[in-house]
Amino acid sequence: MVTSIGTGREQFWKNVLAGRSGASAVESFDTSGFNVHLGAEVKDFRATDYVTNLDAAHLGRASQFAIVAARLALVDAGVQVDKLNLARAGVSLGTTSGEPQEVERFDDHYVSQKLNSVGAEFVSRYPCHVIPQHVASELGFAGVNVMIPTACAAGNYAIAHAYDVLRAERADLMLAGGADSFSRITYTGFARLGAIAPEICQPFDRCRKGMIPGEGAGVLVLETLSRARKRGARIYAEVAGYGLSCDAHHMTAAHPLGDGAARAMQHALDESDLQPEDVSYISAHGTGTQTNDRLETIAVKRLFKDAAYRVPISSIKSMLGHTMGAASALEAAVCALAVFDNRVPPTINLNEPDPDCDLDYVPNYARELPVKVAMNNAYAFGGNNASLILRKWELSN
Amino acid sequence: MSTDEIKARIKKSIATITNINPEEITENASYKDDLKLDSLTILEIAVDAEYQFKIEIPEDDLSAIRTVSDTVRVVEQYLCAQAA
Amino acid sequence: MRSRVVITGMGVVSSLGDSPEGLHASLCEGRSGIKPIQLFSTTGLGCPLGGEIKDFDATKFLGQRNLRPLDRTSRLVASAAQLALEDSGWSAEMRNSEELGLVLGTMFCSVHTISEFDRRALDAGPSYASPMDFSNTVINAAAGQTAIVHNLRGVNTTISTGVTSGIAAIAYATDLIRSGRTRALVAGGADELCFESFFGFDRAGLLCRSDASIGDFPIPFDARRNGSALGEGAALLMLEDAALARERGARVLGEIKGHGSSYDCSRGHNDKASIEAIASAIRQALNDAFLLPHEVDCLSASANGSVAGDRHEAQGVFVGLNGQTGGLPVTAIKSMLGETLGASGPMQAVALLETMRDGVLPGILRLEKTEDGFPLKMARAESQEADVTNGLINSIGFDGHCCSLIVTRPDEP
Repeated sequence: MVTSIGTGREQFWKNVLAGRSGASAVESFDTSGFNVHLGAEVKDFRATDYVTNLDAAHLGRASQFAIVAARLALVDAGVQVDKLNLARAGVSLGTTSGEPQEVERFDDHYVSQKLNSVGAEFVSRYPCHVIPQHVASELGFAGVNVMIPTACAAGNYAIAHAYDVLRAERADLMLAGGADSFSRITYTGFARLGAIAPEICQPFDRCRKGMIPGEGAGVLVLETLSRARKRGARIYAEVAGYGLSCDAHHMTAAHPLGDGAARAMQHALDESDLQPEDVSYISAHGTGTQTNDRLETIAVKRLFKDAAYRVPISSIKSMLGHTMGAASALEAAVCALAVFDNRVPPTINLNEPDPDCDLDYVPNYARELPVKVAMNNAYAFGGNNASLILRKWELSN
Repeated sequence: MSTDEIKARIKKSIATITNINPEEITENASYKDDLKLDSLTILEIAVDAEYQFKIEIPEDDLSAIRTVSDTVRVVEQYLCAQAA
Repeated sequence: MRSRVVITGMGVVSSLGDSPEGLHASLCEGRSGIKPIQLFSTTGLGCPLGGEIKDFDATKFLGQRNLRPLDRTSRLVASAAQLALEDSGWSAEMRNSEELGLVLGTMFCSVHTISEFDRRALDAGPSYASPMDFSNTVINAAAGQTAIVHNLRGVNTTISTGVTSGIAAIAYATDLIRSGRTRALVAGGADELCFESFFGFDRAGLLCRSDASIGDFPIPFDARRNGSALGEGAALLMLEDAALARERGARVLGEIKGHGSSYDCSRGHNDKASIEAIASAIRQALNDAFLLPHEVDCLSASANGSVAGDRHEAQGVFVGLNGQTGGLPVTAIKSMLGETLGASGPMQAVALLETMRDGVLPGILRLEKTEDGFPLKMARAESQEADVTNGLINSIGFDGHCCSLIVTRPDEP
């Protein structure tokens, strides 16, 4: 992973458990015309450290993040690329914006009437499908190659798809996750909606005032159990199942009764053959807006009923900000690490409880506890809902 | 600009955004309860008013707008402030 | 045991009509939707042509509801969805009780909306950015808007794999139904014609040059070709578990028999890699369908007038079908619709289902002379008779994605 609080699994997990925040004043564009100025940007990022086959200068920022995260994931997994059947190695990624800096540059030229400065490479650098393409071209992966741009839930969709592809035996190995680069367009939109916090991102806190937009990439290596066992791989967790649904209610506001979110969780539990009480930890969508956190709490209670009060549920967006298409991929990584490590990350900046948000959000400090089953929830514009369930692999049949 | 002109432009903008016939938009109509608009649409109407009249309405005043006449009043207020 | 996936309805909005029969008739008559563009100015660009849907009015399909929140792409998708739902009989009542889903393939979704949103903020300041337009700046916006219009509460996924997005979406949906995760899905693709993407393609030298001489138009497989023309539209199929279709007495138009995909790491720059990627997608689709090359009765090619792309496809088909292309009828409907990106593969599927129905395969408009060694002998300008049980649809991107889909005539009742 590549994030504002660490690159690579070790640094990332250490900082997540320590409750580090990646928020700071936005540097990548001028925010003086806005009344908010915070972001969670990735600092000191050097793509050339890891992008060796392609020319990083020809790649957009999200693609660079994705390639770096992919390479780190493969190293972490102990996979030797030259030993793979590359025709059966695939990439499934999610995003919200694709390569927004490319279209932002186009627009800069447009408004200054310098369209002739837009180069021939616009159509091969901008569209979002180039991100998994670049990862595959860098590594030589010639199999399945998909971009699922379901915005803030995209990471879960991409991982779910990779899981299906492997089960259908259409690949031996899948890189799955999500990537997004900091975007002026995204920032402008969320600022206009009044959804960006002016000072601090504090999901589930009574005084919460919004999210902090971020950027980054999270990539997981997925394989079938038999292949993983055969090569002696370390297994962080097993994918138990997933659920998808659509609110079909509103483009930017979730269903007021948590209908779609609850259905997605239910489908995930059904596929995993689990009950709500079996869930040891929930990684929340938890953006830090008044609306999301309240409605998400309603959805969890709707499905879990009394068990909602017994399951720890935290939001790493309190630390990473909202990394958009990367968010649920990074949250899935956190779930895998939680299951492996028996520790769950905190929701930081949680100072004053909100009567409407009265669950155990693991306030401020990470916690040790046995984590057998972790559920990762993500919600996006367009009413896209996705829940992914990971479990300790020894427990499965 | 006269109050009537402002009213007419705002009604036209609401009509474009919501597809509601301008004749059916009464001044005291509440966006939420009478016109049945959601918060995104209400915000769009407010931002469109700012954009059209080239004014900036502070967030507190924006979020206090409930009816069409509220919008007309706030626009008038900030147009005057600008002219002053 | 995987479920069989059948097609029980279709909806299409295209530059050659908004019914499958109308589209098919136009294609078979050699009518072209590629004309001088009116939607935006092409002054200063190399190509003035596109497959534009003239006077597109979504109220024709969606009634007098408020369409302001929907941009052009969303309107195209919601309109095609309306047609597919009507055609398949998936009524509003059924959608109330069932979680019907949508899988949409699109390359850009709404780059025009994204750009306009950004430009207004640049020109006037970020506080004047349009909140309503912002909700359409996400690439899954059209799928989300369509779900709201039609109460589609099941799976809602957007797939972006460039030109192949629509076929990739159909493949994704097919697998969800096969595995039993869901029993029915609306699946297909869409892309709009807009200045921003058009400019990008033109700037990249991908569009046909127009200079009033031959080569004005996109002529797939022709030796004189010099590029493609962009088009737009939306095409959606209603896909269902065959058992569900039977239970509810639905009319079955065809079956999704198999699919395959691969990625050309050279992104079109290495002939050998490009040809092999196309062949691999075809082979995988055949394997998935349990068919042999000689059982393919026709090919709907992805060819769109691209100099290298069309050549790669012809060779890739030859390799993928083990050289058995001598007697294979071939069409390339992008000769008349233009390159409609996310909509292209699903439009090819709609057209192929029509060919299965009436035995006529559209010709390749303006095709006169192919290159030496061109292996697809039955590619011709005129429409031809074709008795099609199994049809192969290729969808191939200019930058590496390759998808193949096999559609089969419904079983005799």
